[in-house]
Amino acid sequence: MAGTLVKAAWRESRGSSARLIFLVLCLALGTAAVSGVRALSAAIENGLREQSRELLGADLAIESRRGVPGEADLLVAATASARTTSTKSLATMASAGGRSRLVDLKAVGPGFPFHGRVVLDPPRDVSTLTPLECAVAPEVLEGLHARLGDELSIGAARYTIAAVVVEEPGRLDFSFTIGPRVMLSLAGLEEAQLEGFGRRVVERRLWAFEGNPASASIEALARRLRAELPDAAYLRVETARDAQPALRRSIERVENWLALVALLALCLGGAGVAQLVHAHLDARAGAIAVQRVIGLRPREVMWVQLVHVAGLALFASLLGAFAGSLLPFALPSLLPGVLPEAFTLRFDWLAPLYGASVGVAVALLFALPPLVAVWQVPPVRALRHEAEPLQAPRLLQWCAWGVLLVGLLLVARVEGGEWRNALAFAGALAGLAMVLWVGARLLITIAARIPRTNLPPLLLHGVAALARPGRGTAGAVVALGIGVLVVAGTWLIEGRMSSYLVNALPPEAPSAFLVDVQPDQRTDLVATLQELGAEHVRAAPIVTARLTKIDGRAVADIAAERKGDAGVDRELWVLTREQRLTFGPDLPADNEVIAGSLWNDPQRAEVSIEERFAKDLDVQVGSMLQMDVQGLSVELLVSSIRTVRWESFGINFFLQVEPGVLEQAPHQVLIAARLPAEREEAVEAAIADDYVNVTVIRVRPLLEKALALLGRLAIGVRVLGLFVVLVGIAILAGVVGTQASKRAREIGVLKALGSTRREVMLLVAVEHALQGLVAGALGGTAAFLVAHFTLSNTLDIPPQLPWLALPLMAVGAAVLAAGAGLLGSWRALHVAPIEALRS
Amino acid sequence: MPAYNPAPMQPNAPRIAAHDLVKRLTSGGAPLTVLDGVSLEIAAGDSVAIVGPSGSGKSTLLALLAGLDRPTAGSVEIDGQRIDTLSEDALALLRRHKIGFVFQSFQLLANLTALENVLLPLELARRPNALQRAQDLLTAVGLRERMSHYPSQLSGGEQQRVALARAFGPSPAILYADEPTGNLDAATGASVLHLLDELRAREGTTLVLVTHDKDVAARARVRMYLRAGRMERVEINPVTT
Ligand SMILES: Nc1ncnc2c1ncn2[C@@H]1O[C@H](COP(=O)(O)OP(=O)(O)OP(=O)(O)O)[C@@H](O)[C@H]1O
Ligand SMILES: [Mg+2]
Repeated sequence: MAGTLVKAAWRESRGSSARLIFLVLCLALGTAAVSGVRALSAAIENGLREQSRELLGADLAIESRRGVPGEADLLVAATASARTTSTKSLATMASAGGRSRLVDLKAVGPGFPFHGRVVLDPPRDVSTLTPLECAVAPEVLEGLHARLGDELSIGAARYTIAAVVVEEPGRLDFSFTIGPRVMLSLAGLEEAQLEGFGRRVVERRLWAFEGNPASASIEALARRLRAELPDAAYLRVETARDAQPALRRSIERVENWLALVALLALCLGGAGVAQLVHAHLDARAGAIAVQRVIGLRPREVMWVQLVHVAGLALFASLLGAFAGSLLPFALPSLLPGVLPEAFTLRFDWLAPLYGASVGVAVALLFALPPLVAVWQVPPVRALRHEAEPLQAPRLLQWCAWGVLLVGLLLVARVEGGEWRNALAFAGALAGLAMVLWVGARLLITIAARIPRTNLPPLLLHGVAALARPGRGTAGAVVALGIGVLVVAGTWLIEGRMSSYLVNALPPEAPSAFLVDVQPDQRTDLVATLQELGAEHVRAAPIVTARLTKIDGRAVADIAAERKGDAGVDRELWVLTREQRLTFGPDLPADNEVIAGSLWNDPQRAEVSIEERFAKDLDVQVGSMLQMDVQGLSVELLVSSIRTVRWESFGINFFLQVEPGVLEQAPHQVLIAARLPAEREEAVEAAIADDYVNVTVIRVRPLLEKALALLGRLAIGVRVLGLFVVLVGIAILAGVVGTQASKRAREIGVLKALGSTRREVMLLVAVEHALQGLVAGALGGTAAFLVAHFTLSNTLDIPPQLPWLALPLMAVGAAVLAAGAGLLGSWRALHVAPIEALRS
Repeated sequence: MPAYNPAPMQPNAPRIAAHDLVKRLTSGGAPLTVLDGVSLEIAAGDSVAIVGPSGSGKSTLLALLAGLDRPTAGSVEIDGQRIDTLSEDALALLRRHKIGFVFQSFQLLANLTALENVLLPLELARRPNALQRAQDLLTAVGLRERMSHYPSQLSGGEQQRVALARAFGPSPAILYADEPTGNLDAATGASVLHLLDELRAREGTTLVLVTHDKDVAARARVRMYLRAGRMERVEINPVTT
């Protein structure tokens, strides 16, 4: 019997080949949406990761002032095979020709960096530096009036300045800059004999893994290291993800966006599939009735159709998934610059297979309710076309919807990454479907009651057609509405996202930092800078200190206790590192107090803490911090917690103390300013002459790097958005077209009765346009709501949506539906009526 | 609902019996009584023509007798078993094993060849030598050369002959035909009727057929006249065909 059924299913694919090909293409489009989004997301994520690794110089790094413990190597080696090297850095004085200045010394081991590059001028590999050579930043040469080939003294050693450091991997994070770069080899550092002098040498171990493991597994390893290494409180474990604190928000936004688009694509594919299968089965109703007359039981009919649809879905999904997976390969030629240059695309065979499985799963899930509906085809239909439908077993119907909902939730979990998102998604989709259905019922009711006034008869016929039994108006409106939601929602969010990304770097972002400014130089220097044409000059005092107690408990104890908490992903090293505080009455403009309020306790010394840092420390408003400010103990009350827009690249501090507490403590001043590019050198020269101790650090190249990255992300977001929008429109057109094509017979009759082609076209257009209008208005409203909610809650971007576009969306959907309806009726409209009647 | 039992429950019961069949429809506002208390009995092996003006309810009655549809009130029995209360599954099995149906508009499955159309019910009924039987039947209706053709490649008369072969395939106890010649010209119609008689005689099938045509009706042993949903009169031919 099973053989007979499978055979019957196979035979379902015979004949009506044009219709089946169209169905398969539409199904493939739905799958291509899901797997194309996946492939594009993967390409964007990979690109991001590549960039981040270049900034970190490795896949994983551990930094410590006490030396990185040997256990780290063991743990890493136990997880993956990796290459390793290390660097050591410290702030020290360097001198040449009688001048000296503070420099940021970095000694690099062989192989550094594993990702990205150190660009030297004259060009050479940084690992070819001999123990007696160094490479220096241009600022060092300018500050010391030195040239290539001169000698630079550091500690006990003298080095030949062999090259200028043009570019090096590094965090896009300037607040911690201490001085211009001097690079040595590790062996060279020995010569200087600086270590062991109580100098604060920061050791950094770097690892690069073989075989490009997934970032999730690297993150997991990082968590293990943080939890299991001895001395973890003194170790900073970093992955590529941590390399760009200033871009972190932007990257998180993009990641959230990718997850959202994956869900939206799912929605689109699903609604399309449901409606296509519905239309397909509708077209087969006559044959199904005959099968029932011959003696097939309803469940056998359903199996035949299920097997058939599954076969079509499998074929279509493979087709769509492969096409979708190839999409990123088309990108470099279509849109050069979206993917980083160094980024090599690999075709991953698993990706399309995965996409195809998701496609088949989505297709089958969404095909279930229409498949159960074959139960309703009565055998009498073979006698009377308009016979009353039977009732499908309730239990079965509920099961189909239940399986669809649960399956959708599972697929959404897999695609969207989080249960919370998956639940919200499935709930929102079900809710919207309900609203759309009610809207459609309303339309049908109105259409049925429309008075026979002196409207042109064909127009009236078009309106009334909506209310005809078996017309499927409700289903069409629901599918169309969901499609409009996806298309319009994607468009709205994408527009805000990409413009926000491009503008994430404010024009006042500083292009240079002045470090080592003495407090008494501050006023003069700021004035000088302004005279020289600098804009957005900002100065902030820096006091270095260590945290000793939180709410009376020693930091070392807290660190030891928290280490066991593997579940809590807090960075322990923030407890023990050297803290940089600032003080002053006002917060920078890009700060926003989210808990407590500034300087509200006249009795006690207050501090305002950055939100993330407060989380890492686990302190709230009201907590007491005890700090050791260069030998002096200071008690600070946490009176406010604030957010910082790190992407502004301005001077920002985790800890800001109220005025009147730290003014007398030894401190330096950090100045940030935006210099016109062409004046940079002049400003530097002027400052080098008048303020010998001050170093100007140019960050314009870093800024440009960040801008490039953000620009690339914005294009990526845009491409993905447009892809979904275009595929969405194509799917919608396909769905409407499929439905319209069922009406060939009616069109044939109308034409046989003497209607002109133009009149019939008007009728078809009116009917579809009305469906599109309702779906567009409801789906468009939902799109605005979803966009508003997602932007303000998940993506943290001020929505500012173009609400005026809403009526345009409704009209657009109406035009699209009318157009697709006409296209679907094309054949029937253009062949002789008798042909349409016979088919 | 009782399950279908393929064995006749009462050997002496009439093959088909209907009591006080009522079919009322409410679709489209005003209720419409299509059948209004029709009762009948048809013996095994008999041939019956249901005759009446258009809209009198002939097709509706046939659908009820074949278990394609359910009455609003009244009962239908086949071999003494009530079928109006059977589940859809049981009805499907009943049709699979006992009932053949021929439509005015042929209703062949367009995506199956002539042979496959005839083969499908045989396979469903798990007839041994199904293929052989299908080929024999198609040969018997004169379509030996057309077995691998699709319905769209056959003329109306040829399609109706395939439909006959399909209906007779599983040797049903009853064959219902709704104006089997209605779409055919006189000569073709006559040949189809001739085939129908021949097959019926060979297989001992009970035949119930709906027709407008007096000549067609005259070939049946029993003629039931339907008017406005009621059984007006029944004529019985003294001479059996
Ligand atoms: N599902 C239905 N909905 C509405 N009316 C119906 C339905 N089925 C049957 N009718 C009506 O019932 C009446 C009898 O229909 P039926 O098809 O049985 O007539 P008939 O005797 O076979 O006529 P004809 O000779 O024209 O085929 C007709 O008036 C028809 O319009
Ligand atoms: Mg009839």
